[in-house]
Amino acid sequence: MLRLLSTIRKELLILLRDRGGLAIMFLMPMAMITIMALIQDAPFKDYQEMKIPLLLVNNDTGSLGKSIEKGLIDSKIFEINKESIADDVVKQKVKAGDFEIGIIIPKNATTQLNKNVDLFVTKKLAAAGLGDSALSETATTEALNLSILFAPDTKKSFKISILNSLKQSTSKIETQTLLAFFSKELNKDSEQINKDEPLAEFVNFNEVTTIETPAEALQLNSVQHNVPAWTIFGIFFIVISMAGSIIKERDDGSFLRIRTMPGSFMTVLAGKITAYLFITIIQALLMLLVGMYLLPLLGLPKLIIGNSLLGIAIIIICTGLAATGFGVMVGTIFKTHQQSSTFGAVSVVILAALGGIWVPVYVMPESVRILSEFSPLYWSLSGFHKLFLNQGTVISILPYAGNSIFFAARLLPFYQKYSYLPLFILRRIKLTYLKKLKLQIK
Amino acid sequence: MNSNAAIEVSNLIKIYKNAASPAVNDISLTINKGAIYGLLGPNGAGKTTTISMLCGLLKPSSGSGYVQGFNLNNQLEEIKKSIGVVPQEIALYPTLTAYENLQYIGNMYGLKGADLKQKIAEHLKIVGLDNVSNKRIETFSGGMKRRINLIAGILHTPKILFLDEPTVGVDVQSRNMITEHLHVLNKQGMTIVYTSHLMEEAENLCSDIAIIDTGKIITQGKPKELIQQHNCSNLEQLFLQLTGKKLRD
Repeated sequence: MLRLLSTIRKELLILLRDRGGLAIMFLMPMAMITIMALIQDAPFKDYQEMKIPLLLVNNDTGSLGKSIEKGLIDSKIFEINKESIADDVVKQKVKAGDFEIGIIIPKNATTQLNKNVDLFVTKKLAAAGLGDSALSETATTEALNLSILFAPDTKKSFKISILNSLKQSTSKIETQTLLAFFSKELNKDSEQINKDEPLAEFVNFNEVTTIETPAEALQLNSVQHNVPAWTIFGIFFIVISMAGSIIKERDDGSFLRIRTMPGSFMTVLAGKITAYLFITIIQALLMLLVGMYLLPLLGLPKLIIGNSLLGIAIIIICTGLAATGFGVMVGTIFKTHQQSSTFGAVSVVILAALGGIWVPVYVMPESVRILSEFSPLYWSLSGFHKLFLNQGTVISILPYAGNSIFFAARLLPFYQKYSYLPLFILRRIKLTYLKKLKLQIK
Repeated sequence: MNSNAAIEVSNLIKIYKNAASPAVNDISLTINKGAIYGLLGPNGAGKTTTISMLCGLLKPSSGSGYVQGFNLNNQLEEIKKSIGVVPQEIALYPTLTAYENLQYIGNMYGLKGADLKQKIAEHLKIVGLDNVSNKRIETFSGGMKRRINLIAGILHTPKILFLDEPTVGVDVQSRNMITEHLHVLNKQGMTIVYTSHLMEEAENLCSDIAIIDTGKIITQGKPKELIQQHNCSNLEQLFLQLTGKKLRD
């Protein structure tokens, strides 16, 4: 116990006196959380609550123009700016990015629609022997064109969804008009059906909510994503300090001196890990406090941490263990501090990107999502999301915590035996990945 | 095993993986209790490998031996309790103070409390660093670091002390203090195994020496006897005569 406590004390003293290291461990993630939460606030709102700026030029004075305008307002996804300007100006404004979408409803659009529908009905009735066949043979319909303009950087999927939505809206108007004209032709003597009367809805889609409590209504916003994400990233950046410490001890002969001392070497390793783990816990708590108390002062939403404090503690400790295990591996297989710090930083950034730290995993392509599942940062982030967004319990995060512990357990023995283990572990990771890939293909 | 021997090894061989030739090739030696034994040789001769095996850091490829009566092949824990090691590198933590470094090392040997505090104070006083015990190692000169490095190896009062070039790169005064302190420790009964490139220092310090080259002991005995035996004027001349003048690096 004396050896363990003494090693913990020694490591903590060294860490606390390394001002540069402390800045990397505490200030960098704090800055990252604040900056990224502010930067990503708008994109997250884009997906969930921000309205799309739309420029509407309604040159039609009839019911069609009014119906389209009403449909756009009712959708509640557009911030509509109605102007009476020339088509070229609309194009310029959308191209310049002032508006995401521009819609131009041509003059006399209602008249043209009515004319087209009237002719269509007349033709159909004539074909059935109920009308003027001579008229139906000579007259032709002229297509009614509504102009939709998109900003140059608009995504294809977004364009498709908007076009579909507009088509759905106009087809409803077309159907209403069509029915009205058919009724008029068939019941010339009876009471005329009002073509503005709304159509009966035969099939409805009712969204059934799975949310039962107000906390469950919490959506993934910039703070809920960035605070746990960059906390994990910060924790994993301890890899650089830890690997550096191992390499330094090896270079200056301290490692050799320790190995000549009696007692289990695992005690020394446990002391080192405990000290670094302690730092990661402090780091994580500080970052969560930033999310809860600092970010709201900057106009961002407050971090909601769910109900399971034990779950949070477990995820933080498991993340710290995975990070320290990774640090041990990096410090063991690399010979110089330069090599280890470069590899440590780059590998953590790659694992962070794969793990959904930069952007959520659900926006990644399928092939990348498979790789994500191998990132220890993904396990931790998924655990935090379970707790923070889904009001998860300890049981719900156990798979993620288990992965992290397994990861750490496989890497820690590097400290003692570092000649063949790296290859062994890499081979195992490769085999696991291939096995998983085969299952995905099946 | 000879009851007067602190270290006794026979036919010790160490072959590193993928190496063309053994680093240590069939070494047999006996170091008596209370001796200051100099293991001398050019770079790459096998000195460090030999000491590493005697400290339990490396497992011999073959051969047998005893250190302080404990078997080199299966009693490493007991061996580690009886030895102290002063590596060639300054194996200290630069951002910790001299006291904190020695406290940590003492704790690692199971020393604690007032006993440890007293030992640290005594040793610091002997090497003239008692007034800077609360200063960080990074602020020390090379000689001061070497003196703390020495204390770190002897704090737990080992029976055998291994020193790998303990005076390399230090000023004359510090070197003199270190060698004087080694004499004092030796007189108190500590067996010292020492490697160095400084032949004059070895000649003055060591009661016995072995000259090692290409993994083999070329000669061993008392320095003065060996010098006379080979008609040399000093140890350096003897060393060059036996190992040659060809550069090794």
